[in-house]
This record gives sequence, structure tokens and C-alpha cells, in this order.
Amino acid sequence: MPDQALRITNLRCQIAGKEILKGIDLTVDRGKIHALMGPNGSGKSTLAFAITGHPQYEVTGGSVELDGEDMLALPPDKRARAGLFLSFQYPAAIPGVKVANFLHAARQAERPGDLPPAKFRALLMEKMEQLGIDPSFMGRYLNDGFSGGEKKRVEMLQLAVLAPKYAILDETDSGLDIDALKDVGSSIAALRASEEGRNTGFLIITHYPRILSYVVPDVVHVMIDGRIVKTGGHDLAHRIEREGYDKLREESAVVA
Amino acid sequence: MPSPAPVVAGRDHTAQELYDRVAALGPSPFSIEQRTRALDRFISLRSGREKPGRFWRVDFESVAPEARAIDLSAANVRVENNDPAIFVCDLATAARESPELFARAFGTTGIAATKFGSLAAAFAQCGVFVHVPADRACDDPVVIRYTAPAGAAIFPWSIVLAERGARVTIVERLEGGAGAFLCGATEVVTEERADVHYAALQQVDDGARIIWSRAARPGPEARMSWASAELGGELAASDLSVSIEAPGAEANLTAIFFPRGSQHVDVVSTVEHRAGDATSETIVKTAARERGQARFLGNIRIAPHAQGSDARLRDDALLLSPTAHVDSVPALEIGANVVKAYHGATVGAIDAEQIFYMESRGLERGAAERMIALGFFEPAIERFPTAALRDEIRASLAAKLS
Repeated sequence: MPDQALRITNLRCQIAGKEILKGIDLTVDRGKIHALMGPNGSGKSTLAFAITGHPQYEVTGGSVELDGEDMLALPPDKRARAGLFLSFQYPAAIPGVKVANFLHAARQAERPGDLPPAKFRALLMEKMEQLGIDPSFMGRYLNDGFSGGEKKRVEMLQLAVLAPKYAILDETDSGLDIDALKDVGSSIAALRASEEGRNTGFLIITHYPRILSYVVPDVVHVMIDGRIVKTGGHDLAHRIEREGYDKLREESAVVA
Repeated sequence: MPSPAPVVAGRDHTAQELYDRVAALGPSPFSIEQRTRALDRFISLRSGREKPGRFWRVDFESVAPEARAIDLSAANVRVENNDPAIFVCDLATAARESPELFARAFGTTGIAATKFGSLAAAFAQCGVFVHVPADRACDDPVVIRYTAPAGAAIFPWSIVLAERGARVTIVERLEGGAGAFLCGATEVVTEERADVHYAALQQVDDGARIIWSRAARPGPEARMSWASAELGGELAASDLSVSIEAPGAEANLTAIFFPRGSQHVDVVSTVEHRAGDATSETIVKTAARERGQARFLGNIRIAPHAQGSDARLRDDALLLSPTAHVDSVPALEIGANVVKAYHGATVGAIDAEQIFYMESRGLERGAAERMIALGFFEPAIERFPTAALRDEIRASLAAKLS
């Protein structure tokens, strides 16, 4: 049985010559929900981009393995086809590319020929209904002129349609109102209830514990200044809600 | 591929050969005297397409057909028209059998005043006249196809008269073999409340040269749409112009071009707002790769009395290779003070964040780039008539991207 986990070991990463990740150790198991919390600028998004292979993020040490396969040796598209998914904090707009066509191309790239067009369309309609997305979105250009909330919903739609092995959600909660946040929570729940997605491992990156009321994590990690300073259960999120990050920052400074 | 023959003012050897050819032509649609004067203008006028920089490979002042390539019988003209109420014929027949209708459109757009419009007039020897009677609405497009054999020079002239309240879609297909030279003109007159959608699909051989002038004159509350896709040719130049002389008119201009290899494309759009309370929207999408060169000149002129004009111009260029070159030159002359005039332009490479976003969804880099580049053209493609034509343009662009 191969290692069924997204295993990040002593990962170091720099951008424009500045070291942001200073040795990250973190393992996301299949079917588990991990939350990664931390203040602004602690390196959470950098970790997401380093794992998924953004060309501006230079990995200078450590490893990322997905079910035992070395991710760092692969270009971003092969990492995605291996089962990685990133929900972007700021998804790029692609004018002229319709949502439906893009989703079909992505599903084809990741699972060639697994669904004939009619069945793909049915899947899409089902997922859109679950997410409360109007069918007219299919004909709109991807993220072009979308509101912040619409972009996040379409990220969740992609998550549902692609049903990856591991999903990294980079501040999917930012800029969302309570209703939209509930929809994100229910879309993750729906994916976990589905045959394809019941073993998806999640890494949910967030500043705020608020989203964790809708998506209850199995494990909570706290990142400060490019390091994981604390790992615990759901109660760690509550502690942050009460105390903020300062106390943890002080504790980590003592440890360092 | 023969090199362009140099033509300078005065009757040097090459010019004299062209005059000799004109003298041998028939009197329709232009008389010999009109043809000679048109050739005078071609030789003396400047193109308005001066070389903007030393990297520019093409000098339009020296572009001319070879006299010996001018072949009156060479042009292949085919028309598909499923509506018996629409009258389609060659120009000589139109001038002979319907002189009053013909005169309402032919030569009324001022197209023969420019350098290459004059060249088209000097040698115009084949063409199509389309007459759409008042209030006739035709859903099936009329398809006009001009084909030049390899090495031949042809000079087609299309004329469309859409009478009051008429509606028609016309698709002009331009084809030519290696070494062909096509210099044509299209004149469209849309009378009151008429609606003409005219799409040109230029797919000549990559070793051919094509220069086409298009001019339209919409009447009161009439709508005129030009859509031009310049996909082939070693050298392709296209003029799209609309002169709005009556209030309530609407003009839509769309151009797509994508030079690659050593192709050179030069497109000029001109909207003259000579009457107020009219709208125009110009959308241009250009991509260039390898050593492809493109230039777009976008003119909008609003006359001092044309109050209430609403003119928009949007042009975007995508550079797909470091050796490709695109110049985008908007020119807005606004004489009236109660107008809306908008211009927006971008030139750049594909955004790295767009590529990463698509890669993160499993698409290979090349597939991502192609999808983004095709998407870039889509707002212009959507303005072409008929789903089949749009699909054909998408397929042609996809082939140029692969």
C-alpha cells in the first residue's frame, strides 16, 4: 500500500531571493481536513504556490510527495493530473474562454475520456445546482467580470467537477458573506459525501476561524513567519479566535 | 514569389506597362478614361501606410501588380444565394439592366479616391452586384467567393444595395494561390433602416498578396456591420470604413488578424461621424507570432455638427513570440462637444498568471496558451455571422496557433 498522503518535508521556498518558507513539515492524509492558519504574511499562500508549482516560487529545499510521488520534479499541470487542486485566492480571469468549455478541458486533461459530453454536462448541471450557481454561468467567460463571491463559487465548482485527491483552498473564505461561506462549507461536505471525493484530503488556508465553523477540521496547523509553530485539534482554532496570534507568536519566538 | 515591381510617379517602364493594360480593358464598370485617371491616382497618391520603423519589411508605396500577371479571364467568381427576391448579377449586367439601382450604390462611397481603391478601380474586371429590395429580410447569407489562380492578378469589385428596411448577411470569401495578387473593393449602401452584415474571410495562400478596400454609407437608422478576418497572405492590407451621414445609424466594425511566419498584415478602420445621434463600435483583435508583423490604424472622426455621436474603439494585440511585432495606432478627431468617445488598447504577451491558472487545472502549457489565445479572439469572433463561419474562423486560428 503506497503512502496515501500529501507529505511536505522540510520545505524551503523563496521568492525574488527572499526566503519565505523556512522548513515546513506537514502531512495531509487522504479523507482528512487540515486547516492552516496564520497571520497575514506568514507564508500560507507561498506554501500553496510552492506545492502546486507556481514558476515564481523557487523551492530551495525539502520535498513534496503525493501518495509517494515526487511533486517538485513535475510541471504544474502534471501535479494537477496527479491529483492536486488549488482553489485560488485571486483566480485569473480568462476572457473568451467559457466556464463550461474550460471545465470540460480540465476534466478531460485530468481524466481523459472518462465522461462522454452528455454525461459531463449532466454532472456539471448537478454540481451547479448544489452550489446555487445559475446555469447562465456556463456561457460566461471564466472569472471575467465576476464578483469576488462568484469567483469563489466557480472555484468550488471546479473542485466539485475535478474531485482531486488533495485540495488546497487558499483563503476561499476571504471576502465572502455568511451565506457564501455556508455554500463553501456545503460544497466541501457534498464532495466528501460523493463517491469520487470521499477520500479527498483538504488543506484549508485561512486567517479566520470563521470558516471552520462550517468545515470542521481534523487537524489545525498554525504558521508564523514561514514555520509551522503549532499543530493541534479543532480546539486550537478556538484558541486563536479567543487570543489571536500574538501569544502563539511569543511562544514560537521562545522556541526558536 | 515575384518581388513587387517598383512604381514611381511618371510613366517609367513599369508604369507604362500598367497603362497599356488599362487601355486594353473594356468600359465596364469604369470607362477607359475613368480607369486611366484611377491609375494616375494610384501612381501619384501615397498609401497612408508609411513605414513606421526600420523593422518594417513592407513598403506600401512600392506595392503594385506585375502588368503581365493581370489576367482578365483569371478570376473565378462564384455566388451562392438561396433567396430569389435578392437580385445578384455581374456588374456589366447590373449597369445595363438596372442602371438606376446600380447608380445608387456604385461609386458612391468614395472608395476610388484612395491609392489602392484607385488601383482596384483601374483594373476592375469582375464583380458582383447584390440588390436587396425594400423590407426584404434574408436569413440565409449570400456567399460571394473570389478566387485568384497562382501567379495571377485579379481586381474584383462588390457592390451591395440594401433598400429601405431590407436585411441581408453577406459572406465574402477571398482565395488565391501562391504568387497571386488580389486588389479589390467592396461598396455597401444601406438605405433607411436597412441592416447589412458583411463578413469577409480572407484565406489566400501564404505566398499571395491581397489589398482590399471596403466602404459603407448607412442611411438613417440603418445598421452596417463589417467583420473581417485576415488569415492568409504574405501581405494583406484591408480598409474598413463607414461614413455615417444620417442620424440614428449604427456601425459595427470587427477585425481579426494573425500574422505568423513572415506574414504582414495592415488594417485601417475609419468611422466618419458626419451626422449626430449615431453609434459606432470597432473591435479589433490581433495576434502575431514568429516574425509576423501587423499594424492597425483606427480612425474615428466626429464632425463638429455631429452632436450626440457615440463612438467606441477597442483594440487588443497579443504577442506570441519575441520576434513578432504589432503596432496599434488609434486616432480620434472629435469636433463636436456632446459626444461619447471611448478608446482602449492593449499590447502584450499572454499573462503568466493565466497560464499557471490553467496549468493548475491539468492543462499542458501549450494547450493552455492555445486556449487563452483563442479566447482572446472570441469577443471578435462572436461578432461574425453564422455559427458555421465562426467555427471555421476558430478552426483556422487554432491551426495558426498549433
